[in-house]
Amino acid sequence: MIANGGDDAERQTQLLRGALDMCLLALLAREPAHGYELVRRVEAAGFDAVGYGTVYPLLTRMRRLGLVADEMQASPAGPARKVYAVTDAGRSRLLAWHQQWTRFVGVVDALMPNAVPDSPRS
Amino acid sequence: MDPIEKTLATAERAWRAHGVGRADREALAADLRLDLESAAADGVGPAQLLGEDVPGFARRLADEAGVQRRAPELRRLLGTALVGVALGAAAGFGVFLGLYRLMTVLFDQPRGLDTPVQVEVALYYGFPAAFVVLGAVATVRIHLRELPRIRATANAMALLLPLTGIVITPVTMAFAWTTGYSTSAPAVFAEVLIVLAALAGATVLARHWALREPAGQGEPAAA
Repeated sequence: MIANGGDDAERQTQLLRGALDMCLLALLAREPAHGYELVRRVEAAGFDAVGYGTVYPLLTRMRRLGLVADEMQASPAGPARKVYAVTDAGRSRLLAWHQQWTRFVGVVDALMPNAVPDSPRS
Repeated sequence: MDPIEKTLATAERAWRAHGVGRADREALAADLRLDLESAAADGVGPAQLLGEDVPGFARRLADEAGVQRRAPELRRLLGTALVGVALGAAAGFGVFLGLYRLMTVLFDQPRGLDTPVQVEVALYYGFPAAFVVLGAVATVRIHLRELPRIRATANAMALLLPLTGIVITPVTMAFAWTTGYSTSAPAVFAEVLIVLAALAGATVLARHWALREPAGQGEPAAA
């Protein structure tokens, strides 16, 4: 788990709000997945506070925007599943978002030296 | 009831209340069912997946899917219609007073000329009532013009409000008879309330009538 405590969790949620769609696209770019499987991957990546109730609507929005496409796949065990994969438009958008994210993180990192007090020494 | 069916039924109610059209509801439900069944096959039930706020999830899902909402907006509609009724009543009363002399001349007829009382009642009461209906319909049509299907709603109101007036008038008169035609404030207040409640019911009915979806209409936005 990444976040501990109420304040940390709230801040984590706020940070994630602007990056979750990019993270979902990145996870789907590695390998297509159905909705529930994608939630498990998000959890495995370390964002265990992100539930299905957040991921699935976002996935629906990305499908509406043409960033992901879905197709039915038979499952060896259980019912047929709708699997989502990143489209070409989605890959282009992911690249642009990642570049934007990198610039953003670079700016934030550049502000940090000499601004954050040293950790207490033992 | 099966947990998946129960969840989908809850979502269906939330989508309906959110103004999501039938075709979109069916498309959203079909996709959600597939995912819930996939999760169930892995041993995860809908409650574990969605938590307790299924209606909130359903509304978010509809919004993110970009479906076109056809929300009834009943509170705004009724408030606006009530303002229109008040304006229409005031205008009708004013015009009625202005024409009173004319009405008197018309109906203070020479002896021997007998006008049916129904005609007189229809004119005396129908005239202000027409203003009330016109006020409500026109105010809704103009003030809520940005709402979807408001023209159809106004048209339905133009039909249903007079019919409701025709039905509710004898009901109100019967109530007045039970009070001995009392003019006390509670009695008059109750009579006004009866009429307004009936008009509100007709307005709600008109809105739902305007938003009804004939089978086969509408394209799913979430498919």
